[in-house]
Amino acid sequence: MLEYLKEYFDYRALLICLGLVAVGLLSVYSATYDVGAAAAFDKQLVWAGIGFAALVVAAIFPLKTLQRISLPLYIGTLGVLLVILVIGHTVAGSKSWLGVAKGFGGQPSEFAKVTTVLALAAFLARTAISLSNPRHLILAGGIVALPMMLILAEPDLGTSVVFFLMLLPVLYWAGASNFVLAAILAPIIAAAGALFGTLVLLVSLMISGALLYAARQNRFAVAVAFALTLAVGLSVQAVYERLPAYQQKRISTFLNPGSEQKGAGYNVYQSKVAIGSGGFFGKGYLQGTQTQLNFIPEQWTDFIFCVPGEEFGFVGASIVIGLFTGLLLHGVKVGGMSKNKFASAASIGITGVFGVHVLINVGMSMGLLPVIGIPLPFLSYGGSALVANMAMVGLLMNFYSNRKEH
Amino acid sequence: MIHDEPFGSPERRRTLTIVVLLMFAFLILRLYQLQLLFHVELDKKSEENSVRVLTKDPVRGYMYDRYGKLFVDVGPSYSVTLIPAEFEKQNIGLLSSILQMEPKALEDRIARARVYSPFLPARIKRDVDMKTLAAIEEDLPVLTGVSYQVESKRIYPTLARASHLLGYRREISDAQLGTAGDYYRPGDLVGVAGLEARYESSLRGQRGFEYVSVNSKGQIIGSFEDGGRDKVAKEGFDLLLSIDGGLQAFAESLMTNYSGALVAMDPSDGGILAFVSKPDYDPTIMSGVTPADLWSELQSNPEKPLFNRASLTRYPPGSTFKMVLAAAALQEGIIDENYRINCRGGFRFGNRTFTDLHVHGSVNVVEAIQRSCNVFFYQLMLKVGFDKWNEYGRRFGFGLATNTDTGEETTGLLPSTEYYDTRYGKGKWTQGFLISLAIGQGEVGVSPLQMARYASALGNGGIVYRPHAVEFIRNKENHKVEPVRHDSTLVGLSPHVMDLIREGMQRVVQAPGGTGGMARIRGVISAGKTGTAQNSHGKDHAWYIGFSPFENPKIATAVLLENSGFGGAKAAPIAGLVMERYLYGQLIRNVPKPAPARKSPPKSMTQAVR
Repeated sequence: MLEYLKEYFDYRALLICLGLVAVGLLSVYSATYDVGAAAAFDKQLVWAGIGFAALVVAAIFPLKTLQRISLPLYIGTLGVLLVILVIGHTVAGSKSWLGVAKGFGGQPSEFAKVTTVLALAAFLARTAISLSNPRHLILAGGIVALPMMLILAEPDLGTSVVFFLMLLPVLYWAGASNFVLAAILAPIIAAAGALFGTLVLLVSLMISGALLYAARQNRFAVAVAFALTLAVGLSVQAVYERLPAYQQKRISTFLNPGSEQKGAGYNVYQSKVAIGSGGFFGKGYLQGTQTQLNFIPEQWTDFIFCVPGEEFGFVGASIVIGLFTGLLLHGVKVGGMSKNKFASAASIGITGVFGVHVLINVGMSMGLLPVIGIPLPFLSYGGSALVANMAMVGLLMNFYSNRKEH
Repeated sequence: MIHDEPFGSPERRRTLTIVVLLMFAFLILRLYQLQLLFHVELDKKSEENSVRVLTKDPVRGYMYDRYGKLFVDVGPSYSVTLIPAEFEKQNIGLLSSILQMEPKALEDRIARARVYSPFLPARIKRDVDMKTLAAIEEDLPVLTGVSYQVESKRIYPTLARASHLLGYRREISDAQLGTAGDYYRPGDLVGVAGLEARYESSLRGQRGFEYVSVNSKGQIIGSFEDGGRDKVAKEGFDLLLSIDGGLQAFAESLMTNYSGALVAMDPSDGGILAFVSKPDYDPTIMSGVTPADLWSELQSNPEKPLFNRASLTRYPPGSTFKMVLAAAALQEGIIDENYRINCRGGFRFGNRTFTDLHVHGSVNVVEAIQRSCNVFFYQLMLKVGFDKWNEYGRRFGFGLATNTDTGEETTGLLPSTEYYDTRYGKGKWTQGFLISLAIGQGEVGVSPLQMARYASALGNGGIVYRPHAVEFIRNKENHKVEPVRHDSTLVGLSPHVMDLIREGMQRVVQAPGGTGGMARIRGVISAGKTGTAQNSHGKDHAWYIGFSPFENPKIATAVLLENSGFGGAKAAPIAGLVMERYLYGQLIRNVPKPAPARKSPPKSMTQAVR
């Protein structure tokens, strides 16, 4: 019996998930219990229950059926995103409609992550697909780009960035050459470098060039990719230089959030102070002055990491990061074990979604990365995200138990 | 099998694993940096963030007179405070009418407070009356952010004013803030004159702090760590004065109609018994907040009521200075008690005649002091010489600071060879300059405080004490009464010389033909010296210095009355009354009792000044 359980029951993923959900509930409680948002904890508890149900359903759902319905699910998601976008713009006069639309605005995008990952995995699992074929590559990119554009138009920059970054590990896993990845990354590096002046632009162009060169494609392809990179870098710089000073400042604060204590940098500053003041053992649960005195706006959503950081200190925050790392390593492992290509690619996609969220969210809480407003999985307050994330853990458990199936 | 192709190859699996581990390392390193390396700094920031410090002003020290009677008290003063962030601008009109402030002035005040901190209560008006307070109370529900706090202000429970002795406090100036150390903050009151200034550090106590938690809006949400870090304000130390409160009030009443000063001192230790400078002001008007118009009126008043005439002035001492020359001549053996001159009422030196008031005939040094014979001292000055005269002047403390604890003072001026050389040039001044100095005229300048010390030294046989008004400080921390040490110097006269001079001074008061008979006290032998100092600005200044009883004196007094004529007629009676009042504890003679100085309400300044 125990052997059977070990063989088919992914207790690791479940334990990590439940551990993170528990930390999340504690954190949400701590962050909200004194600000008249006490109902937030109760709601989150209900959402955790719903999420657990979603996890169970996802864990036992027949794999083949899932693979088959992933494309219809994806198309349905696109439809919902489109409807939200259109209603949000055309029915602007009707407040209740707008309210409902806005209220649901963030939610479909959470589920869109799941369905997009599944659709991408299903596409890549087809035997005829080869990523050395540029058309197939563009198609794969398009699957991600469509929901990404709709979400960007909402506008939700953070979530669309997640969509884009999630694509990279999946493409890599599915066999995309280093050159493809380099050709995607190089213009982004150049564009980012362009915002920091000519010197940094030159350095970033050199890095981009080196990346492309190291990918060892034919010279023509390298030249085309580098020309594109150069064009992106120079035009971004040209546009940036012509912006009014206050807009430049807004962008530089965005890119370097620790540089300002008030305004845009305020959240990051307070967040760093909260985490740093936690020290080794933390100030104790419900004792964090930064948290309890509400210095950090949105501390129960995007800046939730401050709560374990301040109240449980280095020990607690390391455990949280450790749990996430364990989940990611497990996801890669499941992807590697799965004989079913769909399950394998989907595992990596789910791992990528989690990884991007954790890296960006924790990174921005600690003042390392730009604040683009994405939640920390399982910890941040928010029902749909919690349900979607728990469903994704359920999928990982599903892939684990079916790992030997083709 | 899918492992033959790139899809999910072990190599790619390894790469992704490494990426995940790198990400883990990246985040943990940053966590380590923030929580362990930068912890101290960020923890401090977090505390500054969430904790605000409210200050609690200490109760200022009290002052007691030499009999332990409360002399300077402390009472409540109500300041209206306002938290800029919580105050609603539309209420400016209402608040300004309650506080009787210009709306513009009120806005300025709020704007300044906002710069310091928008979330901390700032004083808007100090020392408001009960009517204003009641009006504030009534409108508190509307006036959000407005409150009041209790502070301490001075109360003067006796009839005495002692304005120049006690001094006053004012709001600390920006310049003082830079130099007074880091205790003070803008808006603090600090002693700027008299004992309030000199003993500021003892009197002020230590400010207390209350730590409160605030939210990110700066609103106070409770005490921090259950008040565990709060520091209770420490009470200021009490001053136990040598002042006789009753005598002070009595002396003030005697001086009411004069411009001048009176200093009474205990010759046995230099403790000041009374310290009067007239005209003065009612210290009550300086106890809380001094309205600007009152303040400028005090400052521009031609009679200068703020000016401390007891120790900041430089009057020619007149004949009271003759004992300096007598001491020099006798101690240096230039003359003895048998040395006589014949006074014909004048003294011719070069082509100038120095006059005397009377023709005194043949006088020795004792008689010359008794009858204040100028001619005797004119001639004596030429015998003793400038430098010896200067030396003995210095021995009595003239031309030198007394180092009194009562506040501001001048050294006066005791001319010397160097002084005249710089002033007039070497060889450009003659012996004729000195002859005026012999009788305390010319450029010699002394303060009444110096003169009281001089009288004390003559009374006690030659000990020059540092004049002081504070004998003990009651330390409220260790509950000990600590004596304040005051040093002294010796004049260095032989007992015989001292006896001769004292004999002359005794005759001034007690003998027929003495100039100070009006200082006589029934049943007590007194000694003294009158002086009438010529003054280029008007009538002569009247001086009297003296001590009583003659043997083992208990009180020495110096009285100066500006532009009042003869010292013997005007100053001596006042000194006599003061000493009688002190020695007997009351007046034993029948004199029409002068009206005691009325405590005037601050509004009528003309009354308050004179």
